[in-house]
Amino acid sequence: MSARALRALVRKDLLVELRGREVVPSMAVFVGAAFVLFRFGLGGTDLAGGTRAATGMLWVAIVFTALVGLSRSFAHEREGRTWDGLLAAPVDRALFWAARTCSTFLFLAAVQAVALPAFWLFFLQEHAGPSYPVLIAAVLLADVGIACLGSLLAGLASSLRAREVLLPALYLPFSIPLVLTAVRVTTDTIPPQTGGFDTLGRLGFLALYDTVFALLGWALFEYVVED
Amino acid sequence: MRSPEAIVCAGLGRRFGERDALAGLDLAVQVGETVLVTGPNGAGKTTLLRILATVLRPSFGRVAVAGHELPARAADVRREVGYAGHDPLAYPDLTASENLELYAALYAVPEARVAEELDRVGLDGRRGDRAAELSRGMLQRLALARVGLHRPSIVLLDEPTAGLDADGRDVLRRFLAEPGRTVVVATHEPEWFGSLGGRVVAMTSGRLAA
Repeated sequence: MSARALRALVRKDLLVELRGREVVPSMAVFVGAAFVLFRFGLGGTDLAGGTRAATGMLWVAIVFTALVGLSRSFAHEREGRTWDGLLAAPVDRALFWAARTCSTFLFLAAVQAVALPAFWLFFLQEHAGPSYPVLIAAVLLADVGIACLGSLLAGLASSLRAREVLLPALYLPFSIPLVLTAVRVTTDTIPPQTGGFDTLGRLGFLALYDTVFALLGWALFEYVVED
Repeated sequence: MRSPEAIVCAGLGRRFGERDALAGLDLAVQVGETVLVTGPNGAGKTTLLRILATVLRPSFGRVAVAGHELPARAADVRREVGYAGHDPLAYPDLTASENLELYAALYAVPEARVAEELDRVGLDGRRGDRAAELSRGMLQRLALARVGLHRPSIVLLDEPTAGLDADGRDVLRRFLAEPGRTVVVATHEPEWFGSLGGRVVAMTSGRLAA
């Protein structure tokens, strides 16, 4: 793997986003709108399901927010025909997946830097602050999983005519284990809950999920982008 | 032993759904030769170049580029080939220089060559301009700069004269006249390339015309 090529591809994604402002603002608007709808649709902060219901909403909103960004991933390059230039280059095609995984992770983390405090303000302001180290570990591990899985499936869907339908149809079922685990870990971080060893086990599961989809993405992307 | 032929296609075909864009094409290009591929729209010229550039897989038949069979040895072929498609393959939000820096990294060539290539195609004064701000002719020059970055032994150009002004055509002429390079050009203007002494082959319905 060429570190220089990977850096150049990630830099390209970041520069294109910085100047085009197409993905991150759309994701931020989406997650903000979702929180507002949840807040008013469910009648305030006193949710029937307690903190579990609140963290469930958080992760459902994050998974759909990632989908907003992933739906433009690769499709943008295929439509602009810049994809042909990348395919003709003498690098392992898995590098394109790795770079897109990195940039998706960074976009998601940037949106969450605003969305997570907003979420706490909207739904959990009456609770004590969370256990930050565990929360940050859970968010980062879940984001890596979303980026690995999402970039692989976005690459697959981008070559197909029905990609707007196919991407969510593939991505959402595969993200269920990640969402369930992320919800439980996030709930564990909110006092008076304490997950103890269970929380460690759940973080371990998220790391395993990331590893599996990182290996699958690396191994399969070459075949996914074949025309 | 390496083949004396830079490109060999035997019964090469590419199917899109029910339609054969290439339908059993036979073509051999010698090392150092310039071949001009002509034919009406839909004849299969672009499909042929995309297969030779390893962007597209063949559906049937045999194809070898620089002595390497495709698609099995595509990675070896990519190092030898420079490809400029019908579209300029430039990111509109990146500057001319940033576009080339990306490809310099992908082709593992020194970054200093970016400035050299921009200078060679006459875009040194526009290096900081975004590709979206460049005219069609300037984008074609940028594509030529990208193709030349890694000094390929085989160059594949799809309609390279489209949008080029007189100065741009001079740049293209000088690029094509560099010795020792095998060139395949898909074009509707074979007469313009006449002075370069290329062999003209005509395509129709995915094959060489009889």
